[in-house]
Amino acid sequence: MRIGIIIKRIIIYFLLILAAFLMQTCVFPILGFLSAIPNLILIITFSYGYIYGTMTGMICGFFAGLLMDLFYPEAFGLFILFYSYLGFFSGLFSKQLKNDSLIFPLILCTVNELVYNGALLCYRFIAVGRMNIIYSIFKVIIPELFFTLIITIIAYRILLNTNRKLDKIDNIRGKNVA
Amino acid sequence: MNNRFSKNILIVVSILCAFLIIISYMQSSLLDPVRHYAGYILTPIQSGISTFGNAVAGDIEENRHLHNVYKENEQLTERISVLTEENNRLRSETQELQRLRELYKLDQTYMQYPKVAARVIARDSQKWFRVFRLDKGLADGIQKDMNVICSGGLVGIVTEVGANYCTVRSIIDDESNVYSESQYSGDTCLVKGNITSYEQGTLDITNISKDAVFNDGDAVVTSSLSTKFLPGILIGYASDINIDSQHLTKSGKLIPVADFEKIKEVLIITTIKTDSGLVDTGVGEVGGITETEEAEDIPQGEKNTSDGELDIDISSEEEGT
Repeated sequence: MRIGIIIKRIIIYFLLILAAFLMQTCVFPILGFLSAIPNLILIITFSYGYIYGTMTGMICGFFAGLLMDLFYPEAFGLFILFYSYLGFFSGLFSKQLKNDSLIFPLILCTVNELVYNGALLCYRFIAVGRMNIIYSIFKVIIPELFFTLIITIIAYRILLNTNRKLDKIDNIRGKNVA
Repeated sequence: MNNRFSKNILIVVSILCAFLIIISYMQSSLLDPVRHYAGYILTPIQSGISTFGNAVAGDIEENRHLHNVYKENEQLTERISVLTEENNRLRSETQELQRLRELYKLDQTYMQYPKVAARVIARDSQKWFRVFRLDKGLADGIQKDMNVICSGGLVGIVTEVGANYCTVRSIIDDESNVYSESQYSGDTCLVKGNITSYEQGTLDITNISKDAVFNDGDAVVTSSLSTKFLPGILIGYASDINIDSQHLTKSGKLIPVADFEKIKEVLIITTIKTDSGLVDTGVGEVGGITETEEAEDIPQGEKNTSDGELDIDISSEEEGT
């Protein structure tokens, strides 16, 4: 019974991250008025990591990184590494989840975004060899951070409530949810 | 206990990823089949969503502009008759230009390269890498290193091809270097993408020799020195050319012709530059290709006549007269 639940959850995580990835690369670029596109798959990764723990965060991060790796012609495995670590890191704080407050997820979002973009910055520096750090921080990282924070406020709530309902349904049916 | 178990898994994943990264640096083509198989599944979905999204966005814009269209239509009808006369005059001038070009033994312009039209189905969601995906692939004859142009200007180069998609790295990416030259004087330079300059809408030009004739407003085209880019493709116009602090070279900015924020449809040039010269891959059409399906009543360029002219024949259409 437990294996069935685990497989069902893994499939749901994958489909959710796939949907977020498609939105991020196909739908958001069409809306021309945005100066930066929020990183939806990062939001899902750290939200699930924060709500459920390290294992879930890592699985979501793995799928997220896998999709990004398939899209970009850079070194394969790079994004898997980044997102898996970020999911695991978010999962370490899952014990803080006591109330519905948004403060901790927002802090987590900021930290995740900065670390992720900082790591990408380092990779770009190694790959290209020259980098205007101050410019990159202000013009690229800050707008994306801003938009991701806004979307986190909406998305985290939705994810939390949806998952609570699904957990309740699973618990009522008598299956013990991990 | 949950944490320790997942920590072990994380270590395994890290080792696996490090291994994959090293492999893809050594032999980047080894992991391409993985991307290709994923592309089989992902590309139709991305294509569908982009079509839907573009259609919705297009409908909204159409409704906004409809009341302007009627007025514009009248103005355009008048303009067509003026343009017909001008075109006849230009046709005879083109003949003279062709003769003069042959006198100087210059190659034919890049309008003569065969092209395939493609649509952008997915774009880079962050500003780091500047890649985007098109909906044509191996099945349509696209190969790696084909040049991509849009609105008459160079946009990027194909870096990866699957069965039904290809990935294009654009020239505004930091990693992109294009050997180019001034169209007027033929002096060579290097056009580099730079994320800082792109924010102001420009690219960087560097490595212009100190004695070169390079003025603001010169058209910059790709040079035959480039290993991957076909010669003669317009990239943009030079501006702010100044001599460097060491007084050895000049550098400046380049305003690109293509609008990188609004790329929806592009043309892929299907001639590839290899070590043995330009190789025609046998796909694509030469001459004026209409990029969208709605533009049926815009006069199309016919296939080249034997001495290499491009005929734009308006008078043969029934509607305009």
